[in-house]
Amino acid sequence: MTGSADFVPTGRSLRAERWRLRVRGAREFAGQFASRRDGLIGLAILSAFTLMALSPDLFVGAKETVVSATGTRLEPPSAAHILGADELGRDILNLTVHGARISMSIGLMATAITIVVGTSIGVAAGFLGSWTDSGLMRVTDFFLVLPTFVLAIVLAPVILDIIGPEAEFLGLRATLLVIVVVIGITSWATTARIIRSQTLSIRERMFVDRARVIGSGSGHIMRRHIFPNVVNLIVAQAVITFAAAVFIETSLAFIGLGDPFAPSWGQLLESAQSAGAPGLGAWWYIAPPATCVVLVVLSFTLVGNALDDILNPKAQVRR
Amino acid sequence: MSGRYIVQKIAQAIVTIIAIVLLNFLLFRMMPGSPERILLRNPYLTQEKVEQVRADWGLDKPLFPDQFVGYVKATAAGDLGYSLQFRGQSVVDVIESHFWPTMLLLIPAEVIAIIVGLTAGSYAGWRRGSGGDKVASGTSLILYSMPYFVIGMPLIIIFAAGLGWFPTSGMTTPGLSSASFLTQLFDFLRHLVLPLAAISLGLIGGYSIIMRSAIIETRSEDYVTTARAKGLKDRRVLRQHAFPNAMLPMVTIIAIQLGYVVAGAITAEVVFNWPGLGTLTVDALETRDYPVLQGVFLLLSVTVVVANLGADLIYGRLDPRVRS
Amino acid sequence: MRSFLRGRQGRTLAGLGLAMVLVMPAAAPVLAADPVTLRVGSTQDLDSLNPYSTLLVVGYDAFQLTYNLLVDFGPDLEPVPGFADKWERAADGKSWSFHIRDGMTWSDGTPATAADACFSWQLGIDAINSKAGIGSLGAGYLDPGLDEAKVTAVECPDDSTMIVSTEDSSERVLQTYMPIIPKHIWGNETFETIGDAKFDAPLVGTGPYTVAEWQTGQFARFVRNESYWGNQAYPDEIVIQFFKSADPMIQALKAGEIDYARGGNAAQFDDLKSDPNIVTVAGAANGWTQLAFNTYGTGTGKTIEDGGPSTTALLDPAFRRALVMAVDHQTLVDRVLGGYGEVGTTIVPPVLTQWHVEPTNPLPYDPAAAIAALEAAGYPTDANGNRLDKDGKKIKLRMYFPGSDDNYPKVAQFIQEWYKALGIELSAERRGSATLGELVLPPEAGKKYNADYDIELWGWAWGIDPGGALGVFTCDSIGNSSDSQYCNPKFDELQQAQFDAATNEERHAILAEAQNLIYDEAPYDILYYDANLDAYRTDKFAGWQNQPTANGTPLFTYGTLGYTLLTDPNAVVATPEPSAGASAAAPSDAPTASATAAPAASGDGGGDTSSTSDSTPILIVIGLLIIAAIVVAYGMSRRRKASDEDDDDE
Repeated sequence: MTGSADFVPTGRSLRAERWRLRVRGAREFAGQFASRRDGLIGLAILSAFTLMALSPDLFVGAKETVVSATGTRLEPPSAAHILGADELGRDILNLTVHGARISMSIGLMATAITIVVGTSIGVAAGFLGSWTDSGLMRVTDFFLVLPTFVLAIVLAPVILDIIGPEAEFLGLRATLLVIVVVIGITSWATTARIIRSQTLSIRERMFVDRARVIGSGSGHIMRRHIFPNVVNLIVAQAVITFAAAVFIETSLAFIGLGDPFAPSWGQLLESAQSAGAPGLGAWWYIAPPATCVVLVVLSFTLVGNALDDILNPKAQVRR
Repeated sequence: MSGRYIVQKIAQAIVTIIAIVLLNFLLFRMMPGSPERILLRNPYLTQEKVEQVRADWGLDKPLFPDQFVGYVKATAAGDLGYSLQFRGQSVVDVIESHFWPTMLLLIPAEVIAIIVGLTAGSYAGWRRGSGGDKVASGTSLILYSMPYFVIGMPLIIIFAAGLGWFPTSGMTTPGLSSASFLTQLFDFLRHLVLPLAAISLGLIGGYSIIMRSAIIETRSEDYVTTARAKGLKDRRVLRQHAFPNAMLPMVTIIAIQLGYVVAGAITAEVVFNWPGLGTLTVDALETRDYPVLQGVFLLLSVTVVVANLGADLIYGRLDPRVRS
Repeated sequence: MRSFLRGRQGRTLAGLGLAMVLVMPAAAPVLAADPVTLRVGSTQDLDSLNPYSTLLVVGYDAFQLTYNLLVDFGPDLEPVPGFADKWERAADGKSWSFHIRDGMTWSDGTPATAADACFSWQLGIDAINSKAGIGSLGAGYLDPGLDEAKVTAVECPDDSTMIVSTEDSSERVLQTYMPIIPKHIWGNETFETIGDAKFDAPLVGTGPYTVAEWQTGQFARFVRNESYWGNQAYPDEIVIQFFKSADPMIQALKAGEIDYARGGNAAQFDDLKSDPNIVTVAGAANGWTQLAFNTYGTGTGKTIEDGGPSTTALLDPAFRRALVMAVDHQTLVDRVLGGYGEVGTTIVPPVLTQWHVEPTNPLPYDPAAAIAALEAAGYPTDANGNRLDKDGKKIKLRMYFPGSDDNYPKVAQFIQEWYKALGIELSAERRGSATLGELVLPPEAGKKYNADYDIELWGWAWGIDPGGALGVFTCDSIGNSSDSQYCNPKFDELQQAQFDAATNEERHAILAEAQNLIYDEAPYDILYYDANLDAYRTDKFAGWQNQPTANGTPLFTYGTLGYTLLTDPNAVVATPEPSAGASAAAPSDAPTASATAAPAASGDGGGDTSSTSDSTPILIVIGLLIIAAIVVAYGMSRRRKASDEDDDDE
């Protein structure tokens, strides 16, 4: 275990040993993952979407604007527009592929917030214990109890006011940042709970005591000893959170909290709804973004489940 | 279940509700845009009038203690103020008139989802790895990955706009309110089918996945192995031993879930134009009807807290280990 | 044990089946007895039945059905008898004598007299004369009409006479929008309290219908007022159904569930045209959608710390005119509105044919000319092609729009591209209406406001008098209704003069000058005059009449004429049971088609639009519910049985 190596005071050999262990762990993990067909399928879909998000231009060229659009109002699929056009004549395929970046960056950033906040609180609560634990867990329980989606709706305008309309981060406009923050705030609690219980069990293990004996501070122990041991769990949790984030983003955008200037898949579905696509039978406006959402959420769930089974030591006795 | 356990859980719930009331107050005072301005899109309004409205609504007083004390007192008395969108209507009235439609939709949806979800889940779990399991689990996963409105939209395209079997949306056909009860009932049922299907399908996915893993878990436990060893029929073992024991965690999960379903069904209500709490919430968001938003938020949060409390108490009753 | 269980299930099934058979035909005669109901769909959700409190067009129709105006509006919006059946003007033109109908009663049987009219108008007069001033009657939309008409006093010497005194001799008193409410019910209310008074259904009125029921968010139902003084209209009932979005409403119209729909988009509107039973009307709206430029400081030289326009260029009419030239208004009408609407120019909408003028010096779409104009006015570009203002600062404009209209984000995307062609970057953000209303307020409205925006994309809708639209450009309006912060004493003079004009010709000339002044100075870029896309079915009701005839719509106009003109399309056939049409079936079908009990067999043809009453789905639902119930019952009894056996096993 990495834990016993911590006792060796010399840096170099320790690092080498760790590295060797990690490589071996990675190999083992890859072998286990490869035997999971659902995980592999998920991974394949996911890679395709990641590629799409990274360089949409590769697939469909530059994003169409209202001025550069060539289709007609709600044009049905044809050779020129394989998936038809929206109500402003923009190519749906183009919009959907470009939507991947928006949807997935929101998912990614929201996941990052969730995981960072959830892990910090979970590790702190589990490791420090006593009143810190009960205090933090009260707060966590409170957030677990709040109806996430309604809280998100209520929070959105407040956060927009706080971060200001001109805010921009990694190319995401204020409206989208709000969604990121809202998802983060409303979904970290689950992660915190899970990480805490894992931390609790690690804390009891020998190597932490040893570290304490040699005089390591709490911060140091948490960073160097606890964190590496919950990292597996974090990875699995992150993947599952990502699926949830894309799911919530889609729903929030659908009820009108999205950004029409940078349409995510949820926003496209909202536009389709308000353009009357369901009633007009314009399935080509709905099917592509809807399929993408489902595929991404599904593939992340598949990968997440596979990772969880492989990486989570408690997976077998979960209740 | 010890009395102490019950008291402790109830105390926790009360503290949580107090915290929610506090949050509710703060959150809505932080909202940008003064509510009286929603009424302002009027070229004739004078500054005096705006000030007068602010005074009428107590918005000119300081947040603490005046507004806060007033808010807590009123909330405790069940007075949630007046809606901005539906002027002259109290928030309680507005919420109440949207509450029952939501219940009419969600209760049957829950019932169907629980029955179908648990059945499918336990079947899949029991026959783990079989073809049936693969189909059931795959379907469940896909349904689980779909927001309610994503399930609802194709239903509308196919069964309402395409085949014309069901109305696209709404809860009743306009103008039937003077018709006989039965006519109205049938009309209501026709409107109910698609939204009910969308929400049930969405819930089935989740329930079936959880039930499947609960069954798989119980399947490996001693008493089940024993029962099978005793030569009891496979089906009977499932029904008599595995299913009831898997239900233990399921009851809790379903109870907790109940609180969230209302919030989750918002998009389904929007897609089907169902006049429930979901559409009310979205409308209130659009018109910045803060008192109504605040009321809905309070109602839903308290529902979840109560559902959680219920789950804790049920769990405490069902599982003797919790007593310690 | 098991066989017993099966047996019980069997009986239950049979029992339910029997109940179903009994139930289905039972529904038939009931349907036939339904009243003739006009079902109107609206995407606006009725906000209040209180006439002083509603802000929406649908609210106006709701109160107008119940309450009369003193003088009503005819087919071309000309004054016609309402609560008053005749009137005359005194020789000096500053006093009007209205004769209140003899023998008219409220729907509760109480006589309706001049006292009611005086009470209702006095509320408005009191509001105008109060400290809070114009706009203090409820939401503040009704009393300004009295002010525009320069009404100073009302007096009711007897039950059938109402004397109205006016400051000037205009005829605007005849188009005053002030509902007459019953004094015997609301007599204790004042102008301060009436806006918050609870107008709960059923209400007592003198209009052709009275509201009987209102389910917030769902529908409002009106029943025919049997004591109405005019002709009894054909529909027995009117139901206004509220839809959260246009799509379900359009589907309901197609399926015959509603007879009239307001608020579809262009694609849906076009789609409806193929239905032979549906007529579509694109009525001109009395309003527009605009870009309001923040010109704070124009005419006053004032500036705002930490706020106001981000560049001084916005204060320069030449700059703003260039921005107008850069926008292809026709493309907006074609692409965003689907061709329904008119290119925007001056501040009196063309629907007011009597007053609207086209600009003398139009600014046609011409990007090259716009760039040339900018260069000439002293706005060069830097090396990167960015347009610079006179302080040498890069021009970056911030635009905001409310979330209330799906078209705004589309418009914004076009504007962004067109301004980009000028070297001007434009950011666009959606805001809640309340937030945006505050965002554009300058310090004049209070210390905390700073008008921190450059362009506001929003719209206005106006009353029947052209004077209203001028109100948002006056110096006085800064701090309340002005969203351009424009101030020009010359314009203020014109605005006052058009109200004081002695004749219509004189007023027209002044209005023309005012319209051109705003067009040339361009504090607004009026993008387009919206259209109201309405559609109605002709199979259940005939007699649809547009108001005004030339470019109006049958319902949601001024007054309630459209409702009262409806007739039975099958009147010639004179069916003994007019209610047959109340089923959603097309008239060519058997009238009782919807009521036929015959379940699955006849229900299979459910593909057409008249399938609303197809009973197959109901059977499916009931079947599903029964199956569900059986599964539950079965599962539970199995559990019970199982536990019994468990005991045996051990």
